[in-house]
Amino acid sequence: MPKRWEVYPGKSQVLCSGRCISAKNLSVFYLTLALIVISSCLFLAFDCRLLAVTLSPSVPVLAAVQFIFVLCCLLRTTFSDPGIIPRGTPDEAAWIESQLEGPQVDRDGNYRPPVRLKDVQINGRVFKLKYCFTCKLWRPPRASHCSTCDNCVDRFDHHCPWVGNCVGRRNYRYFYLFLISLSVYCLYVMVFGIVNLVLLAFFSIWSVVGLGGFHTMLICRETSTNEDIKGSFNQRRHPDLINPFDQGNGLANCCYVLFGPVTPSLLNFREDEIGLGSSISLVTNNGRNGTVSAAAASTAVTATPAVRYSNLTRNNNDATSNSVGHVNNSVQVISESLPAQLPGDGNDVIVKNGNGAPADGVISGGTDAVGAQNSNTQSASSVHCIV
Amino acid sequence: MSSSKPLPNSSSATILPPANKAFVPRDYSHGTELRFSTELPAKLQGRIPEEVFTAVIGNINQLLIAAETGSASVYLESCFACLTGYLAYICMETQYEKCLRSVSRLVEEYNRTVFGPRNLSMIDPSERGLRVIEIVLLRP
Repeated sequence: MPKRWEVYPGKSQVLCSGRCISAKNLSVFYLTLALIVISSCLFLAFDCRLLAVTLSPSVPVLAAVQFIFVLCCLLRTTFSDPGIIPRGTPDEAAWIESQLEGPQVDRDGNYRPPVRLKDVQINGRVFKLKYCFTCKLWRPPRASHCSTCDNCVDRFDHHCPWVGNCVGRRNYRYFYLFLISLSVYCLYVMVFGIVNLVLLAFFSIWSVVGLGGFHTMLICRETSTNEDIKGSFNQRRHPDLINPFDQGNGLANCCYVLFGPVTPSLLNFREDEIGLGSSISLVTNNGRNGTVSAAAASTAVTATPAVRYSNLTRNNNDATSNSVGHVNNSVQVISESLPAQLPGDGNDVIVKNGNGAPADGVISGGTDAVGAQNSNTQSASSVHCIV
Repeated sequence: MSSSKPLPNSSSATILPPANKAFVPRDYSHGTELRFSTELPAKLQGRIPEEVFTAVIGNINQLLIAAETGSASVYLESCFACLTGYLAYICMETQYEKCLRSVSRLVEEYNRTVFGPRNLSMIDPSERGLRVIEIVLLRP
């Protein structure tokens, strides 16, 4: 003897040996479930750690309680019978259909389908009851036939794909409570997520933003922190003293401070430490012959006094390469900012001049004749020496 | 039990209702509440006095209407279930289910006392999805 769920004729999906029923297509329901579960897990795992400590341990507890309630309501909505009216037996169907007017052909020869409506007085108001040919029953008032599930559902609300079931008389309260509890839970998570963010970022935001704002103000006024502290150009202390370095308006000051000329370092650390007035030979070539220049460079280098800073490595075998990256990173960065008056191929240039500023290392971008470019090469060499 | 086969609705042939069954339909004149018509079906004319039939159906209607009435105990039961996340429904029986069980007991009693001696058998409306009350004529 088969159980009733085994011979159920509709399109709904029967689960757990007749204990649960839902729509056949549950893919959107799985999406709903995944969204709720994943975001709750993330909130409980990450945000609640800080909130439990800084605020109260009741924050994650309440979140967990709400999460469980939302899940209970959702699962009840999805897997419970929405109020399906069981289909009429064949005997009932025969009895009802015998009372219906059959299909007729009227005077004009038009075909009239069988009448399946009957009028009913409900509390004084005329109501038309429909006969459902699929379910073989007179549909009660407020019932409707769901084509997705192929059932008549009492007090039919709608078929909800998010929940994966019809919403009808039996599961409407679970559906509504699911909506309300999920709204409350979403608000709860949002509020405490923001609180968490504020707690984490509060101090860093205020200190960094504050300091940034302060320095923006200084830049616009073309003063330094030191001057501000001392009040050198403070209008209130010395009202007749104006800032002589102020360019007139804040924008011009900003432009000059931020985008003005970059001063090179004058320390020349990479050059040999020599006293004033010592004479030095100058070796340079245009680098057309790579090997020659390499050889020349290497011999020149070995002839010079020992480099004081040996942390910068040199690669003399690759003299024709334009990039100085193989020397070290800092040198490559500086070499890119060499002024335009140093065109040409990459060369090894060892420059020494009478001013007692020995040059060392490799310059990329080449160089002109030494004599005319003393200052340039000096500055170039000094540029590439210092980070 | 012989019953006529259901014919397609677009067929021009006459559909024969089952000869040995009488059906009591739902009465919607008072709204959607659970109520069956107290009108004696034609097939039962002469088999059972009308007042007996009316009384029987009336008693059944009373129990069914009570099942759907919202009383204080029903509201408390629902609130309690809500607070437990509806997990309480797994172990407890609702008011409606209790009422339907009492209707089943009443129908059995009527079958013993009223319908049985008259060679009739009433089918519990829960077995028919609360659509109709089916009364089987055991002997024509």
